[in-house]
Amino acid sequence: MLPAYEELVAWLPELLAGLTISLQVAALSLLFGMPLGLLLALGVIARSRILKTVSLVLVEIGRGAPALVLLQFIYFGLPATGLTLGSFTAAVVALAWNTGAYTSEIIRASLQSIPRGQRDAAEAIGLTGVDELRYVLLPQALRVALPPLLGFSILIFQGTSLCFTIALPELVSRAYEIGSGTFRYFPVLLAAGCLYAAVSVPAAILVGHVEKRAGRYAER
Amino acid sequence: MDGAVLYLADPPQSSQDRSNGGIMMEQGSNGTVIRLRALSKHFGAHTVLDAIDLDVRPGEVLAIIGPSGSGKSTLLRCINYLERPDGGTITIGPTTIDASMPVERAELSKLRRRVGMVFQSFNLFPHMTVLRNVSIAQERVLGRSRAEAEERAMQLLSRVGLADKAGQHPGRCSGGQQQRIAIARALALDPEVMLFDEPTSALDPELGLEVLAVMRELADSGMTMIVVTHEMGFAENVSDTVMMMADGDIVEKGSSNQVMRQPQQERTKRFLRAVHDR
Ligand SMILES: Nc1ncnc2c1ncn2[C@@H]1O[C@H](COP(=O)(O)OP(=O)(O)OP(=O)(O)O)[C@@H](O)[C@H]1O
Ligand SMILES: [Mg+2]
Repeated sequence: MLPAYEELVAWLPELLAGLTISLQVAALSLLFGMPLGLLLALGVIARSRILKTVSLVLVEIGRGAPALVLLQFIYFGLPATGLTLGSFTAAVVALAWNTGAYTSEIIRASLQSIPRGQRDAAEAIGLTGVDELRYVLLPQALRVALPPLLGFSILIFQGTSLCFTIALPELVSRAYEIGSGTFRYFPVLLAAGCLYAAVSVPAAILVGHVEKRAGRYAER
Repeated sequence: MDGAVLYLADPPQSSQDRSNGGIMMEQGSNGTVIRLRALSKHFGAHTVLDAIDLDVRPGEVLAIIGPSGSGKSTLLRCINYLERPDGGTITIGPTTIDASMPVERAELSKLRRRVGMVFQSFNLFPHMTVLRNVSIAQERVLGRSRAEAEERAMQLLSRVGLADKAGQHPGRCSGGQQQRIAIARALALDPEVMLFDEPTSALDPELGLEVLAVMRELADSGMTMIVVTHEMGFAENVSDTVMMMADGDIVEKGSSNQVMRQPQQERTKRFLRAVHDR
């Protein structure tokens, strides 16, 4: 059942190319998705009714719909409205939306976990609303949010495997392709799984370390 | 501590606040730093402040005493709009805010830079160094340069005896030290008046003493102060005037001698007796 050494050597270039695409999709989704999450978090707690509603709708769809459905909707559904995206772009858009929705909740909860006295003090020294966020609330909230944000990043990396459904040549697609050519499905998927683990496990250990340090402020 | 830096308040900047749109009006200060008229606050059906009138003279140290829930904190918080009053006017120096009209945050910033506030729970920014805690508002609100702001912050920190803590984070400081840093942070805007909401209540008696010493010195330097306190010693010995509150009303107000030694109102007598019996 295990892949033979020669098989591994033969598959590896193909699988690594797939892993590269998975990592690219994950990185770009996070790059666009996390700032989107910050904006959505601010939108949801904003006083403006319109801003709040738009943000809430985006968050609820992004969280409510399974990532698989978002992917299919953007890749297969959007062309009906005249907007056709390549599978790579569609993957990034769908996963960035998913990321934005989830991270906005993480960031919102962290903002709301900051004690009321911090806002009082920021306001009492005359900071504007923007400065209060920038200098007092966000630096503290992001520190609280960091471990869950990193944890979510690992999930998104693993979530890129869903992109095989829209014909993106990422890691799982490549493994299936090799499988259909060799009928060695199980060994090649096992190899692909090991590659996911090779990224996820060290990342999870890193998150654990960050978690331990989070909340402690640097002491000089 | 150096006598030269003891004078902390700059003169009121009355000439600079003329262009304030509709809600802030120019007024003569008539010998008062703070003037409240019919200041009211409700939480739902509960009247927490019932049309409060109050004048505070320059240099006056006013102690506010009264039972829990009487509205003391709410009064302080309304003065700098941490709590939005429902009605009445607040005049600080030359500017008046009418609580029945909408106010922009930028206008509030102008009000707030005239008022320093010190909280029971210190509320220092834990992610900033002590120095940054004291310099940030000078840079962002007063527009001072980093160097200028830090120089002033160092002056204020030595003033409260904590220059050696400048590079540390507040979490490493004792409660008394944190409260003294909070006082320095509030003083950094050169306010015309300082509000203290039970500044020593969260502290051991000994740590409270170091905070009280700083406050007493501040009072001696001529700062106008409103101090909500359960420290009867402070009310009696440091403050000029004492105001007793109950149920959102001013029960009586007078010189500290008079209110603390010969209270006129039965409510005040009862409160003072209860405090002394403890
Ligand atoms: N945000 C709020 N929402 C509802 N009620 C409030 C709020 N803040 C204060 N109150 C109520 O207003 C009343 C006055 O509260 P306040 O904190 O001003 O009293 P206080 O005199 O400072 O009391 P203490 O000595 O306990 O600090 C209390 O009955 C309190 O329950
Ligand atoms: Mg109180």
